[in-house]
Amino acid sequence: MKNLLRAAAVAAATALALTACGGGSSTNSSDVSPTGEMKPHEISWLLSRPADGAVINIMKKLADEYAADHPGFKLNLITTPDRPSYIQKLETLAAANKLPELFDTDATPFAQQLAKQGKMLDAEKLLKSLDIYGNYRPGALDYQRFDDGSLYMIPFQFELEFMWYNKALLAKAGVAVPKSLDDIPAMCTALRSKGITPIAIDGQDQWPLERYVAYQPFREAGPGFVQKLKKGDAKFSDAAGQKTVNWMAELGKAKCFQDGFSAQGYSDAQNQFTSGQAAMYNIGTWELPSLATDKLNPAVRNDVDFFTLPTTAGSVTAANEFVSPSGIGMAVNAKTYDPLVSDFLKFALKKYPAQYAATGALSPTTDVQTTVPANATPLFQKALDQAKDLGSKQAMPWDTQLDPTTNGRLQQELVLLVQGEVTPQQFTETLDSTIAQNAPKFFK
Amino acid sequence: MITQAAPPAQPPAVVPPTPAVRRRKRRPDLFRTLSRVLITLIVIVQVYPLAWQFLTSLRSEHDFATGDPFALPSSLTWENYARAFETGDLGRNILNSFVVTMGANVLIVLLGMMAAYAIQVLGFRLSKLVRGLFLIGIIVPVQIALVPLFIDYSQVNLLDTYQSMIIPLAGFSLPMSVYLFSSFYEYIPKETYEAASLDGAGPYRIFGLITLPLSVNTVVTVVLVNSIFIWNDFIFANTFVLSEDLKTIPLGLQNYIGAMGKVDWTATFAAVCVTITPLLLVFLVLNKAMIQGLESGATKG
Amino acid sequence: MLPNRSRTSVLVFLLPPLLLYGAAVLFPILQSLFLSFFSWNGISEMEFVGLANYIRMFVGDDIFWRAFLNALIYLAICLVLQLGGALAVASLLTSLRRGRELIKTLYLLPAVISTVAIAFLFVRIYSLEPVGLLNQLLHWIGLGSLERPWLSDVNTVLAAVSAPEGWRFTGLYMLIIYAALLAVPKELEEAAVLDGASRWTLFSKIRFPYIRPVWITTTIMATTYGLRGFDIPYLMTNGGPGQSSELLTTYMYKTAFTSTDFGYASTISVFIVIECLAAVGLILFLLKRKADA
Repeated sequence: MKNLLRAAAVAAATALALTACGGGSSTNSSDVSPTGEMKPHEISWLLSRPADGAVINIMKKLADEYAADHPGFKLNLITTPDRPSYIQKLETLAAANKLPELFDTDATPFAQQLAKQGKMLDAEKLLKSLDIYGNYRPGALDYQRFDDGSLYMIPFQFELEFMWYNKALLAKAGVAVPKSLDDIPAMCTALRSKGITPIAIDGQDQWPLERYVAYQPFREAGPGFVQKLKKGDAKFSDAAGQKTVNWMAELGKAKCFQDGFSAQGYSDAQNQFTSGQAAMYNIGTWELPSLATDKLNPAVRNDVDFFTLPTTAGSVTAANEFVSPSGIGMAVNAKTYDPLVSDFLKFALKKYPAQYAATGALSPTTDVQTTVPANATPLFQKALDQAKDLGSKQAMPWDTQLDPTTNGRLQQELVLLVQGEVTPQQFTETLDSTIAQNAPKFFK
Repeated sequence: MITQAAPPAQPPAVVPPTPAVRRRKRRPDLFRTLSRVLITLIVIVQVYPLAWQFLTSLRSEHDFATGDPFALPSSLTWENYARAFETGDLGRNILNSFVVTMGANVLIVLLGMMAAYAIQVLGFRLSKLVRGLFLIGIIVPVQIALVPLFIDYSQVNLLDTYQSMIIPLAGFSLPMSVYLFSSFYEYIPKETYEAASLDGAGPYRIFGLITLPLSVNTVVTVVLVNSIFIWNDFIFANTFVLSEDLKTIPLGLQNYIGAMGKVDWTATFAAVCVTITPLLLVFLVLNKAMIQGLESGATKG
Repeated sequence: MLPNRSRTSVLVFLLPPLLLYGAAVLFPILQSLFLSFFSWNGISEMEFVGLANYIRMFVGDDIFWRAFLNALIYLAICLVLQLGGALAVASLLTSLRRGRELIKTLYLLPAVISTVAIAFLFVRIYSLEPVGLLNQLLHWIGLGSLERPWLSDVNTVLAAVSAPEGWRFTGLYMLIIYAALLAVPKELEEAAVLDGASRWTLFSKIRFPYIRPVWITTTIMATTYGLRGFDIPYLMTNGGPGQSSELLTTYMYKTAFTSTDFGYASTISVFIVIECLAAVGLILFLLKRKADA
């Protein structure tokens, strides 16, 4: 029996060693125009987007058109809309060295490691070689860039995040639209005293609460803060860090979020806002079809409006600079990049923006005009217009910035901080030591 | 484990209710009324969620969002079912779940019987050790196999296949099946085998002619209990399956998740209702056999 | 043992099951053990770190201990609900004359529903804003002061995520115990009743000792399933708020697939295997010894 065990252990070791070695082979990530014969074959795109959403529908249609001229070509769209499941799938595929031709990823530390190993194609060179680089909104590309400015993912969306609010509820509590982030806690107290839920938030998915922690440092110290924080070069104990920690604790003390928010999902939170129970709701333009069309509950339709991220006194970023993500980006696998993939991307990326804009969404490029749907309320156009006048900086969502372990801990501790289970001081100590422990592994 | 010679499958209904009668004489209806009320309450708690799920699938989206989720719907609609079939490929999901469940069950039953036969009936020197080895599989959580299996599959190109789901599902259910079969075989009288042996039957014939036919009740139990777990398995399917064509029901349900975690709940519940129907039907039809099998398996400890 | 068996026949019957079992269960366990001595994020080179992962687990990881403690409490709640509930209902059921079959079937139904649906259902039941079923009920029966967001309150969340798991499988264990109770010889009970034994004496002195072996099996089943618990806490709260409902299994899963720390996740896996083996050993030791006493 002992011998058997030993044999099995050796076999395990060999199998693992093989896998590990398999990961080492590097390919040239900057050769964007491969030469050779173009043989049509099936290619796959592993993506994390809604199964029936505009991106998938359009890319399917474009792939069908392309396949008509190139028999043998087929685009397999493999979608896992649930983000945590998707990330798991992507990471395990990368570990097994089985990434498909195209795959979605944010500009995470994990993606940066893939890029460093030459597994992803340089997107800047690719877009330039297709002569469409200049069409993209700078902000849309910046969102996809790694800290060193390199670009490996191609955006398919462009979204703006606003604070939506209910005018009638604010009036009922006698409060005005907050001029500064620091006005929000007092506003919440006033709303609560009238029995109104101040802010509806999707606590279950965790990223919405994590947005809030990013706001104060972005105003106080600019977009550089989180870039330093994640490497351990800045700390929560610094001035900007303390400002956001204390502010989050104040939001909690003022009971800004609905009771039991941490277990409530996306739809529940949105329903609270659209049914007139909650006064505010922080969400992006991807919800325009439900917030700025006649689909919105008639009872609140005339009361809904939005404002952009308030500034603070002494803010280093301007009012027209806030969270404007271009969604999860598409990376091109350098290992499987061939003339066919190149030719298809050339075909699809050129045709995509016009069709995408026709669905009423903001294209990541500036060469097309978004079609406002027939059932839209005036808010729709107002929201789209915000995209015309954006500053050069943008607030990055922290969940794409921090290393995954720190990110998970931050999400957990934020709930505790807002619920008053930990003090700002405990929060600061826990997070600073978590970063110190984990950052070196990802950013060395 | 227990030295009790009960017949393998004793239908519980034939037990005469004498003790209850006698008790009732002694203490009037209080105890019985109380237990009836309790049982009714518990049954409500057990059944209500299914009913709620079904009612929710008939609600309009607006009613679900704004109304009291636990009240009766203000109006009924089949719209959610239409949306459910539009968004996902429910037929294919059900088919895939069926293939995986069946594939795993065939392995679990066949291999379970074989191992139990080898351990319990044939017997060999290290049978205690093998039994112990199988015990590990009952005990350890399935999650520990995810990382290693993923690596192994990618080595032998098994990722994204039916087998990639069937193998671990069957492997982790095998011990319980071995256990149930061998505790059943324990009660097949030795004389039966000895008689057959004297007639010159070898181990293969005895397996095919005696053990196999006698195991039917246990097979039903093993299949039904495992089907419940396998039909709803999420974790292996989610880790090993990539393409749309192979998605099982729990993965298919994920297609109802939209951007940033937004879920179309009423359509999801419609889909849930559609997808549990096959299992529910099988369960209701075969549930008597399963309950009997469970009971007979259980009393023999 | 069959007289006519041969070595080949034993192998023919034993090898195929062992092969599948080895590939799907035993080999991965060994691989986990192997991986637990490495630091590996899946894409970079593996680095041998000796016992560093184990040291980190035992002395340098507050979440690990929290998750371990939570897993034990989760297990305790599941056991009370599943075994206690099963025993109580099974006993009640034996006193019933009609409708037993129907009730048994209805009782087993929750096991058929997928955990995804169960998780969502219970999120609704526990909710406070909008008010869910549980808080509504408390309000109606005049216990309004107990109303709370059950899944967001760090003091109640663990119990709240354990209950659905217990609820799901109570029916299964009830059936097993019910069958065992039916097998208790009626003569024994009747004799005791004639001797004037109380209901409790009847149960503790006659019925329970008789079903003890089944009880041990059921306890082991429930314990191992309890230690495996994953889906419901993962789907309902993802371990939160904070780490209040983090179990070892969810923590291990997140370490592997969120933090991509496959080495450390494997270390936790190894601990879970040992924990489960120890738990079962303990049950056998305690319950068997009591039986002998």
